[in-house]
Amino acid sequence: MQSLGFAFAIEPVLRKLYRDRTEYQERLKCHMEYFNTQPYFATFILGAVMRQEEDRATGKDRGRDVSGLKTALMAPLGALGDSFFWGALKPFAAIVAVAAGMLGSWWAPLLYLVLFNLWHVSLRIGLLIWGYRSGGDAVSLLAIYNFTKMARLFKIISLTVLGSILGMMPFWRPEFRLEYPVSEVFIVVSCMALTFGLIGILRRGGSPIKLMLGLAIICLALAYAGVIR
Amino acid sequence: MPVFDLHMIAAIVVISIVGGLLGLDRTAVGQFMVSQPLVAGPCTGWMLGDATAGLIIGIVLEMIWLLDMPIGNFVPADATVVTVSACAIAILGKPGGDTLSVISFSLLLTTVMVPLTMQADAFIRKRNSKLMENLLSSNAENMAQAIARAHLSGISAFFLKSFVLCLVIIPAGIAAVLLFEHLPGTAHHALSLFIKLLPLIGAALIARKLSIKSFDLFLISGFVIAAVFGFLFHVPVLIVLLLTVIAGWLGARYSEQRS
Repeated sequence: MQSLGFAFAIEPVLRKLYRDRTEYQERLKCHMEYFNTQPYFATFILGAVMRQEEDRATGKDRGRDVSGLKTALMAPLGALGDSFFWGALKPFAAIVAVAAGMLGSWWAPLLYLVLFNLWHVSLRIGLLIWGYRSGGDAVSLLAIYNFTKMARLFKIISLTVLGSILGMMPFWRPEFRLEYPVSEVFIVVSCMALTFGLIGILRRGGSPIKLMLGLAIICLALAYAGVIR
Repeated sequence: MPVFDLHMIAAIVVISIVGGLLGLDRTAVGQFMVSQPLVAGPCTGWMLGDATAGLIIGIVLEMIWLLDMPIGNFVPADATVVTVSACAIAILGKPGGDTLSVISFSLLLTTVMVPLTMQADAFIRKRNSKLMENLLSSNAENMAQAIARAHLSGISAFFLKSFVLCLVIIPAGIAAVLLFEHLPGTAHHALSLFIKLLPLIGAALIARKLSIKSFDLFLISGFVIAAVFGFLFHVPVLIVLLLTVIAGWLGARYSEQRS
């Protein structure tokens, strides 16, 4: 899936390393094979492949199995990257920014971009350099950076902030605020209970689209029954 | 009442181009998160003169589609097209001040379109995955140039997909808003409540994906901390937010030590 992107990225390196046109074409074709991993972690593999191709071209190690290295790294790094970036860092940045936005801050989108990209860009560049220097030694990378532990930390903070969003309902933007002649504590506790109810429905296989349509129907029914005005 | 005059058509085309460009950030170029609803919504809203409507739509859709992740071969909902279209429908369909019910209606309309965006995304991905096969079988003389061309073709296909989807969804949505305006006030009241409850669906979706427990202790502690500091001690909300981040960090350290 990402083989085209990988070949496009490695091509300038190969052109510089292999002066012989036949060898260059052969190496380029070698990098057009199947490749699929987490896009940010791909830079680590790219750096490692650059190093191995360099060693191969300069005659330092002609027998390097570059394809084998790519195949060995892409699946584990893909799984690790997916769980760290998509499953932990992105939710963390988004939930903190959503909380700021719900509480009326106009700079919530900027906060999202800063929180995510500080990690994303520095890791993307850092992993490229690390991959090149280590020649693809992912074990040393994981020994220093425990991505699983960091992912768990981000997930826990995200859940705590999510809980605080619900706890601060009366302070939400006016567009989202529920204003009824009952105590604010009652509204907050009811909404928390409703959220747990929705989690229960989701555990039984509900989808976002079904939930949204269901909620719209319930709201219409309540309005036509005269419960809300 | 808005009509499809030259000004409106120009606005739809421009916003569709913006939708196409923002959509590139999803998978094809960069992935810096500018395609995410919380960023794409206010951007589109600002371009159309109502950043607040964009922010409201962005917040809701961010919560709902946040953990619809592109893991493995799964193609998630195209939240960018949905966000850009919802903003354009709400703002262009009700010029001169958006009401909550119109924003709600636009959200509902674009949500119905989600399966279509997923199918279009899957189609483009399938088409792009064939680019390399075609390249290998072509035996091109200048392979580097052929790769660059195929790469550009893949990016263009992603742009066109988002552009065309916006170009189809936005006018259809604006026409639907014109019809919605004729509905009785009761329907408008219902949809005004609907948008206020949508963050709860978003929160449930996030909690469901982030935690395997039905009653997550961290979720409840965040709720209690915010309620206690916000209600009892009247601490400013952003400080409460900071406190919950610190509490989450401490909680993670504690649970790590225990395990």
